[in-house]
Amino acid sequence: MGRLYAIEVIYRGIFQKQLATRITRSIVLAAHEEGKLGISFGRYGDSPERNGIPAKGFAIVADDQLTLEEGMAKYEPKEVDVTIAVDDTLCKGVESWAWYGLQPVNKLLKPGGTLLVTSREQPETILQMAHRKETPYNLAILKGTVSFSGLWVYKDDHTDVRILGAIAKILPGLFTLKSVQKTIVDQWNDSVKAESAARAYERISSVAVRPDQGNPETPYKFNFPKWHEMGEGIAIPSIPAGKAIEDPTTHESGGFRPDRNPTFKKYTTRTMRPVVNFDTCIKCTLCWLQCPDSCFDVTPEGLYDANMQACCGCGVCEAVCPVKDCVTMVNETAFEDNASQWEAWRKDKKGYEAWLADKIKSRPERSHGFRYRGQYEEQVPEMLEVARKG
Amino acid sequence: MATATYVEEQRSTDKTALITGSEAIAVACKLADVDVITAYPIRPYDTVMQYICKLVANGEMDCEYIVAEGEHSQFEIVKHASACGARVFCGSSGVGWMYAMEALTVTPALRIPMVAMVGNRALDDPGAFGVEHNDALTVRDLGWQLVWVDSAQEALDTALIAYRVSEDRRIFLPCAISCDGAFLTHSQALVKVPSQEKVNEFLPRYNRADLLLHPDNPITVAPQGNEDWVMEIRRQNYAAMERSSLVLKEAYADFERIFGRSYGNPFFEEYETEDADIVLMGMGTLSTPVKVAIRQMRKAGKRVGFVRMRWFRPFAAAELAKSLGRFKAVGVIDRDYSFGSPYMSGVLTTEVRSALYSAPGSKPPVLGFIAGLGGREVTVPDVEKVANSVYEAADGKSQPLTQWIGLRE
Amino acid sequence: MATYIQIDPTQKLDPFKSVKKLPLEEYFTSGHRTCQGCESALVMKMMAKAAGPRSIILGSTGCMYVANTTYYSTSWVVPWMHTQLGSSGSAALGTSAALKVLMRKGKIKNEPINVIAFCGDGGGADMGVGAISATLTHAEYNSLILMYDNESYANTDIQLSGSTPWGANTTFSSPGKVKRIMHRRWKKNMAGMMAAGHPECKYVATICMSYGLHGMNSIRKALAIGGPTFIHSLDPCPKGWDYDPYLSHEMGELAVNSGVWPLYEVENGLLRLTGRTEQIAAGKIRRVPVRDYLLKQGRFAHFTNDDIDYFQSKIDDMWEKWLIPGVIPFRRDVEADTPPSS
Repeated sequence: MGRLYAIEVIYRGIFQKQLATRITRSIVLAAHEEGKLGISFGRYGDSPERNGIPAKGFAIVADDQLTLEEGMAKYEPKEVDVTIAVDDTLCKGVESWAWYGLQPVNKLLKPGGTLLVTSREQPETILQMAHRKETPYNLAILKGTVSFSGLWVYKDDHTDVRILGAIAKILPGLFTLKSVQKTIVDQWNDSVKAESAARAYERISSVAVRPDQGNPETPYKFNFPKWHEMGEGIAIPSIPAGKAIEDPTTHESGGFRPDRNPTFKKYTTRTMRPVVNFDTCIKCTLCWLQCPDSCFDVTPEGLYDANMQACCGCGVCEAVCPVKDCVTMVNETAFEDNASQWEAWRKDKKGYEAWLADKIKSRPERSHGFRYRGQYEEQVPEMLEVARKG
Repeated sequence: MATATYVEEQRSTDKTALITGSEAIAVACKLADVDVITAYPIRPYDTVMQYICKLVANGEMDCEYIVAEGEHSQFEIVKHASACGARVFCGSSGVGWMYAMEALTVTPALRIPMVAMVGNRALDDPGAFGVEHNDALTVRDLGWQLVWVDSAQEALDTALIAYRVSEDRRIFLPCAISCDGAFLTHSQALVKVPSQEKVNEFLPRYNRADLLLHPDNPITVAPQGNEDWVMEIRRQNYAAMERSSLVLKEAYADFERIFGRSYGNPFFEEYETEDADIVLMGMGTLSTPVKVAIRQMRKAGKRVGFVRMRWFRPFAAAELAKSLGRFKAVGVIDRDYSFGSPYMSGVLTTEVRSALYSAPGSKPPVLGFIAGLGGREVTVPDVEKVANSVYEAADGKSQPLTQWIGLRE
Repeated sequence: MATYIQIDPTQKLDPFKSVKKLPLEEYFTSGHRTCQGCESALVMKMMAKAAGPRSIILGSTGCMYVANTTYYSTSWVVPWMHTQLGSSGSAALGTSAALKVLMRKGKIKNEPINVIAFCGDGGGADMGVGAISATLTHAEYNSLILMYDNESYANTDIQLSGSTPWGANTTFSSPGKVKRIMHRRWKKNMAGMMAAGHPECKYVATICMSYGLHGMNSIRKALAIGGPTFIHSLDPCPKGWDYDPYLSHEMGELAVNSGVWPLYEVENGLLRLTGRTEQIAAGKIRRVPVRDYLLKQGRFAHFTNDDIDYFQSKIDDMWEKWLIPGVIPFRRDVEADTPPSS
């Protein structure tokens, strides 16, 4: 039996579909340069992909056909050598749209495997998000702005090739930098991309992660019922209507909070979340009314509190809010919990003001995708600059 | 070709009427107080909808009578009506049934009770109107209960039984009643029409219970499921079909008690089998020429019997195998085809063979005969030809496993 | 005069006065797995809010089936049932007929219950158009068929439908080295077709939930007027149209303000242009160039200036040459249609 390699790419549905596919395909092609065999596939359960909803792609490579079949015999790998998270907010976990529960980003990593993350953050920030793992593993950060683009227009910012270069360093047995560069030139006939891969190869470094490091929370789990425990006729109970909210200070109740779906949450489906300045809110209702995810709870005094169980971070609330900086989208990496902002504000307005100012300050530009023709061409040089600096 | 069935007079309040099999089912719908009915033209089944139209127009029946724009909608409309607690009736023939196939697929999957009449008709092309059983048989794997009747009386009685079983909370699966085109749908016979009181006693009101789609019972029905769920959902429907045999037996027993008419074994009818050496098998109205032929052959000293399959789904495999084990050989006459099937036999033949294969006890040879396609007459000489071949097999002489009967060759 | 058609009473659904007077309750809530910024999910939420708790909703196959209700989970508070891709019309008819007869026979409590069947543009403008048309001729059955139009089979992977705009990039019309424009059909005019072809249908409207109050009040009108009704909603789709989800609301406004998506209603045969469209028609506001709408969407990224000009000219025709601007494409005189060579 030869050696079997498995690599997974965790990515944001649609926004990084092309990116993930390029990576998994190129891994197989680069390994094939050295006579290895492999397959590349996306997790079927994630299809059809939804914008921003976590999805997975895999590359399985082996020295020979029989070993490869060992890997192909599984619906998807049960353990991987490298997990690539092409968006750092995915380190909070993976909730596929069609699957239940929250899967830690490092769940499939072999002992001593490597979690490779595209990010501008420091390891500390990443480890605050990633759940703890019983066995030690390595964390490698590929410095760079997270690469998002749309379904039809690919933003060629070299993220794909930089990751390939990094893998050659992280998993030397898989393929050499030389093979990676040959694959890049063969596919895209672009020597500059080949150079980017080499730079990533030289720069990439990793830190060891101990079992006591990381987010201590136990991720949300779901237990599947037996066939005779399920209702017949493919029928399930509807969601209860919801009820008024109680004010944490006055204990008066009013407003309305829709009952939240008990089995589907959106904790990991967002890259940004809205923060609300309740003091400047004019109660125009637009954020609440125009939210496709019904994520705003209506408070007793008629304010709107974004409920993090339901928010997927589309940013429409910010777009429709007529008051400057009343609703502001902030990078998800800046948050450690999903607590109610309104309750915090009710309990301590001064403290909330400071908290809010701090969050809004640390707000990087985050484009989900195509905003206007020519936008990507404008973004790419800056992103390459960040990459060059490392 | 008429198969006017002679109905023995019974001491009862029942009225005798001279009606077709289609009309008999229309009468059953009236007696069952069906709520929603959808029609679309295709022969031969649509005669039932013509009769129902008259019943509604004459104020004899109160229901929503909707003429759809195609069979797909015809079956989707009643599917949704049944989900809201309405007793429904529908039907089709030949390619019309095929046009509705998507709706026919989801109806049992959703555990929707429905009674449908299939006026068996050859599939296109060449667009013959005559009987062939392939249309109804296409849904045999999907959770439909399938029954073939051979008289107008049986059509009426079976329709009432079908509602009772289909709407039983333990089952909640649709039921298709197959009536041979022309022989049943277009020929009139004397039929006992039971009183409304008896029907009310036999047939409880449809209660959709926990699966009722109504604001007072807020449920979500049939969300999209992936591989984490499909096995469990299919297993539930497997269990429902498994229970169907039991509920059918209960229904037939109650039917006999209330209506004073017995069908004996609900699943298949045996004719002259007590002392038979060999038996012939088949479904639907070919029972008439077969029975006549048997009477003649018996005069000539040939001990031939007949087993008419009534319920094809559920298929009473164990009981059938036990019965067939008594004979030296079996000849199955299929009014259908299954090109490329094992030994190129018809559908019923193949099912009978598989029922016997895994059963304990003796396994007589089973010969397949394809006859009467597209409504061609199955004659008494045809039946004798079949019997002769089966006798040869009984004597250990090799015979083809599939033969075409009544073919110009 | 004798009445041959018995239309049952409907719920009294007065228009919502303002966004500040909307009921707080949601009947379509969180837990769906639609895309970030999904306007169709917003349509579902507002549709359920407009209809209220005494409603039954039927959903044909599409995004709003697959993404909203993944088995063992649901986003619906009111009863909901799946129907087949082409069956929104049949589902509405069957449900309405059942309620009507069961109430008449006293088998269930007699009360007005809203019946809404929704479909996407694939289920409505393509496969289901026959069943919808049939249902709109059954005047005695109260129901609303709402077509949420995101201009492609967005759930199955963004394939073109009869409702996809000319030239758009979809997985069945992706531009290549030789052919730039693979989709050469113009968008089907569903609302106009339904209004013109079904004299017994009392209400047909076009909406866009970027104008939520307007859309919800159209839905309430459609449910209250009695008989079968049809609403065509244009839903910007960040996934298939390929734009940043935060633009979803603005994209709907651009569709209306560029004149690409006229808002109107036909109530008891009376045509009324509504919302911004009315102001455009009255010359109170100018149409914004279609270019501003197209260039924000990746699905038109391959368009040349000629393509954009052609698109603009077709929209201009709709406003200047159609006998009933934006509604029915009948013309006074025939002109050659000259699309750019692809």
